[in-house]
Amino acid sequence: MKFIVSSSYLLKQLSAINGVITTNPVVPILENFLFEINDGNLTVTASDLQTSMITELQVEAKEDGSIAIPAKILLETLRNLPEQPVTFSIDSNTYSIEINSDNGRYKLAGENATDFPKIPTVSDGYAVNMSSEVLSRAINNTIFATSNDELRPAMTGVFVKLDETNTTFVATDSHRLIRYRRVDVAADMAHSMIIPRKALTLLKATLPQELTNVNVEFNASNAFFNFNQVKMICRLIDERFPDYDNVIPLDNNNNVVVKKGELLSSLKRIAIYANKTTHQVRLKITGSELMISAEDLDFSNEANERLTCEHDGEDLEIGFNAKFLVEMLGNIDSDEITIKLSAPNKAGIITPNDKDEEEDILMLVMPVMLNNQV
Amino acid sequence: MENSFILHMDLDTFFVSVERLRDSQLNNKPILIGGSSDRGVVAACSYEARKFGIHSAMPMKLAMQLCPEAIVIKGSHTDYTKFSMDVSEIIRENVPVFEKTSIDEFYADLTGMDRFFGCFKLASELRDKVIDNTGLPISFGLSINKTVSKVATGEAKPNNKIWIKSGTEKPFLAPLSVQKIPMIGEKTYQTLRGLGVRKVRTLQEMPKDMLVQIFGKNGAAMWEKANGIDHSPVIPYSERKSISTEQTFNKDTTDITRLKNIILAMTEHLAYQLRNENKLTACVAVKIRYSDFNTYTQQARISYTSADHILIPKVTELFEKLYDRRLLVRLVGVRFSSLVHGNYQINLFEDTGEIINLYQEMDWIKKKYGDRSLVRAKALGVNALRTFNPFKGDMRVAKVET
Repeated sequence: MKFIVSSSYLLKQLSAINGVITTNPVVPILENFLFEINDGNLTVTASDLQTSMITELQVEAKEDGSIAIPAKILLETLRNLPEQPVTFSIDSNTYSIEINSDNGRYKLAGENATDFPKIPTVSDGYAVNMSSEVLSRAINNTIFATSNDELRPAMTGVFVKLDETNTTFVATDSHRLIRYRRVDVAADMAHSMIIPRKALTLLKATLPQELTNVNVEFNASNAFFNFNQVKMICRLIDERFPDYDNVIPLDNNNNVVVKKGELLSSLKRIAIYANKTTHQVRLKITGSELMISAEDLDFSNEANERLTCEHDGEDLEIGFNAKFLVEMLGNIDSDEITIKLSAPNKAGIITPNDKDEEEDILMLVMPVMLNNQV
Repeated sequence: MENSFILHMDLDTFFVSVERLRDSQLNNKPILIGGSSDRGVVAACSYEARKFGIHSAMPMKLAMQLCPEAIVIKGSHTDYTKFSMDVSEIIRENVPVFEKTSIDEFYADLTGMDRFFGCFKLASELRDKVIDNTGLPISFGLSINKTVSKVATGEAKPNNKIWIKSGTEKPFLAPLSVQKIPMIGEKTYQTLRGLGVRKVRTLQEMPKDMLVQIFGKNGAAMWEKANGIDHSPVIPYSERKSISTEQTFNKDTTDITRLKNIILAMTEHLAYQLRNENKLTACVAVKIRYSDFNTYTQQARISYTSADHILIPKVTELFEKLYDRRLLVRLVGVRFSSLVHGNYQINLFEDTGEIINLYQEMDWIKKKYGDRSLVRAKALGVNALRTFNPFKGDMRVAKVET
């Protein structure tokens, strides 16, 4: 088997899917790309068993065939070659691969393509279309709030709930929760799934900048994302997502309206003086003044700043992890935000004041239990 | 190093001195401080009692046999801590860097202070200040490093001071018994005696490699100390890094329910302390000592917390994992380490508003009426947790590790 392809074209396509490959896979063959040629069509697959990515490209080839090629060596070779057509010659008996370029000849050992795990294909799936922009906004807005706790797998992914009127993306690590809702994406029947974080991270990195349609298909166990010449298949997290709707309080009437930019930069400064492990800051709201303070007793560091805010309701003092707040505010586009509070022990809700008509963002954050008694 | 000045201060028979401050009738009498139960040990004793061959850590029963007329005092850890803090405060105000190594021992780095006052003068004034303000006798040794200063303090005692001038460390140490070197305990001493080594001079003259061959790594340190070499710095007094409590039983037990309840009561108590001091722990450990003195600990990392409902199950789980020998248990203990400042991060799904309010009410009651005013029913049977008396045989120690 033999084929000729442009080095930079191949590199571009391989780079798009390379992120799937882990450094120490369960099955060693997964350190390879699977190359399959069918009628001058080259299909390259990379997988870690949970997530697989596939890309297609046109090559010059006389015959069909397949081979597994070590990903790291191949990518490094391509990265260091100037743009030119390169020839791949594969010995189908020994699985040895010879790459010929203008600069010279490189020989490496491949593996039998039939050893490469089979990638699931779509069957009795259900499909929706959404734009790459919507999808990447949804991922960006939720993914940072997913949990790292492998003991609670449900929270290590983003919950996607399709409805007849809207689609909701939810992420939580049990200390904060993001609910991102789009009314411009809907399905004719209700469906829900949990997509693992790794798949979404890869998707985020691969989604094109320009507006493209992404076809999303899914069944009970897998989700398929299809755009341009890239396909991604991921195994869904088969767990029950926590009952998020019931924990979002509806009676938070203590509203604080602040300029997002001011609050964010203030928090970033104050957080420098907070404990490096807990990042704990205090927000003290008195009338129309918001005081942010932090202290790190181990180093005798402390800081406070005052902001003006619009506030109706009782005065309140509440403690938060500044890292959570900074991450949340960093993902909000609106100039002004509303923080809805009720009590120092209860969830706070952050929402943007001006937003797209199509989207609805709700960010919930749990406070820390301040020890305020005298 | 030639120009460094390290001061070591030690309160003489600290516990006895505190008792004598309160009751002058105790002056010039043999006094023993410690628990008088079967397993009580001598925590401290006066110089008069030492004449009878009594030393600290000796079983109280034996001490009483050696000196029947001695006055035994239970002692109050709270009082001692208070006096110790008073002394710390005086030292803190007067020296650039100081380290508190135990309730009655301090190191201070006076390097550089000689330009202004002369270190010996400064140290003497500091000593006078401590004596004037607290009424407690204190001794000090001043030299170029920690080891020599500590040995010097031992030589200065009782209630005196000594300055080992730079360059005279070796001749100062040479005539002393090797037991005076801080790292040489009973066992090492016996080994050295077996080798015919009695005086520090012999150690000084021995080749370093020979000691390394006998004692391994410790041998090198031992040789250096004997020669008055010690580069360890004075580590400034820092916040405690762990909190722990343990209990030795009057009688060894296998009563698993009782053991579990004690563990629970300990956890409850320590968790309250965490919350009270606005701290969180990320590492919990359980300790068991069986009647054969084999001691085992098991620890686990958790995410930062100070909540009873997370800590109690975790500690119980560790205890169950650890207690597998069905042997009589002599001691159990619980320890929280990896402490940071902070408050409990409320969990969105697991913590209801009621739970959080409950904690706050609970802590409020405990603060107002005392730690034991509100406990879980299981912990009710566990008595005496409130009496933090390390001087009784049946003791639970709230240890402060720095």
